[in-house]
Amino acid sequence: MHERLSFYIKRNSVIHHLNPLTKLTLVLALILIAFTSPWYWTPHLLVLIAIIPLSFLGKVAPEFFKTALRLILPAAGFLFLMQAFFQPVGETVIFKFYFLDMTQESLMFAFRNATRVIVMVSAFTFLLLTTHPSELMSDLTRRGLPGQFAYVIISTLQILPQMQAKAQTIISAQRSRGLDTESSFIRRMGSLTPLIGPLVFGSLAEVEERAIAIEARGFTSKKVKTSLHEIPDPSSDKLIRWVLIILVIISIALKLWLS
Amino acid sequence: MKIQIDNLRFTYPTGLEALRGISLTIEAGEQVAIVGQNGAGKTTLVRHFNGLLQPTVGSVLIGDWDTKKYPVAKLASRVGYVFQNPDEQLFSKDVGTEIRFGPRNLGYSKEKIDGLVKRALALTELSDKTETNPYDLSPTWRKMVALASVIAMDTPIVIFDEPTTGQDAPSITRIAHVIAELRREGKTVITITHDIDFCAENFERVIALSEGQVLLDGAAIDVFGQDEILAQTYVEPPQLTRLGKRLGLKETVRNQEEFLNALKR
Ligand SMILES: Nc1ncnc2c1ncn2[C@@H]1O[C@H](COP(=O)(O)OP(=O)(O)O)[C@@H](O)[C@H]1O
Ligand SMILES: [Mg+2]
Repeated sequence: MHERLSFYIKRNSVIHHLNPLTKLTLVLALILIAFTSPWYWTPHLLVLIAIIPLSFLGKVAPEFFKTALRLILPAAGFLFLMQAFFQPVGETVIFKFYFLDMTQESLMFAFRNATRVIVMVSAFTFLLLTTHPSELMSDLTRRGLPGQFAYVIISTLQILPQMQAKAQTIISAQRSRGLDTESSFIRRMGSLTPLIGPLVFGSLAEVEERAIAIEARGFTSKKVKTSLHEIPDPSSDKLIRWVLIILVIISIALKLWLS
Repeated sequence: MKIQIDNLRFTYPTGLEALRGISLTIEAGEQVAIVGQNGAGKTTLVRHFNGLLQPTVGSVLIGDWDTKKYPVAKLASRVGYVFQNPDEQLFSKDVGTEIRFGPRNLGYSKEKIDGLVKRALALTELSDKTETNPYDLSPTWRKMVALASVIAMDTPIVIFDEPTTGQDAPSITRIAHVIAELRREGKTVITITHDIDFCAENFERVIALSEGQVLLDGAAIDVFGQDEILAQTYVEPPQLTRLGKRLGLKETVRNQEEFLNALKR
């Protein structure tokens, strides 16, 4: 298998060597703090002093910024505009566009919400870039997550790249037999129709084969399973997780106390 | 049609350099076997002949065409390529349609297509199976459909990627027969194979690849004589060659006939 099954980028960094659960805790903590902290600038600061430096620390900064520019910023920008215009709060109108008012308050409100969304999505992007999904899942199943649940997640992540790879092979085979894929659209569609059958049925057959294969290895067995691939979880990781949980508790407590 | 490969290097997007400086010339009408351990780069090499892969460095010429300048669909009129796995190659609902697909794309006349399809069906002994869905056939016969669908394109160069792997004896005989027939028609046949006895019986020239480089290239008899070098790429000479050597025969033998002749002397 050579196709890319996930966003994961294999690099050698401190972040890559963290236990997957620690990274998941980190991401959830960042999100919870961004959403609960009573201080207005918290989400903005989190992006600047936590998420961006972490992406450098994990040696995935180029890919991180590429995803951010192409996916996260446009979505957050759209959210920002919607909320800035349609949020009916405040009186200090600073901008008028036909019947739409943008007040200073709605602007502030939208800015924070958009940044919260940026924290949420970019934290997950960071997680996906530095953690192989199957590593995360095997760590979580070892800690008691039902195997069926992990299986559903992993196979969903895999089905698209697999079908893509298969479609690619069939297209290579057709081009090798003289099909001009740069030719007319109609001719190309015509040649794609016979492709759908093998593609769909092949994928279904694969699902069944895989189910049989994993069952043959005792997938539904209730016994505790050992794992070939040990994922280290040193005490430094446990410490990091506790610190993160305490930070989240402080953030929530402050919020409750101040309101 | 001549194939000229000049200092070919190829690196996969994963960063793996699968071919590391290959230069070869294959003359029109030659019968060449390519051997070498798994992962030596055999498939990667032949995928350059029909343009499915483009050289990272160096060039591949098919006749007077540089594969960089022609699309795969165009190169298909000169190079036919039978994939290692027929399941990756077949997509039509019946054998007849499958075999017509190639020659029809090449724009031959209706009469020519009919003739080519008929001949390909006869050569692969598929004439009674034209209406069958390829996926209802056994893997051995699916392989025949893959063979037929490429032979029907009537290209001057035909490539087989591990044609005998997983095939039974009658099927191997059929494949050998197809190759002999192509040779008789003056076509260039290039075959990747792990079946060294099949190689000894059907090919004059053998190229051994190892880790993306040419280890040995020459007449089958000379290549099989160098068993120490061949061992580097995990290829053993054919059984009779080894037996001949153990018996102390002076010359290298490849098949029964040569073995018996040498023994008589
Ligand atoms: N699509 C691909 N992406 C990345 N690496 C590949 C790909 N296909 C083959 N390789 C690698 O290139 C090397 C040569 O492979 P290949 O040409 O298939 O070898 P052979 O056909 O001699 O067994 C192997 O190390 C293989 O893992
Ligand atoms: Mg191969």
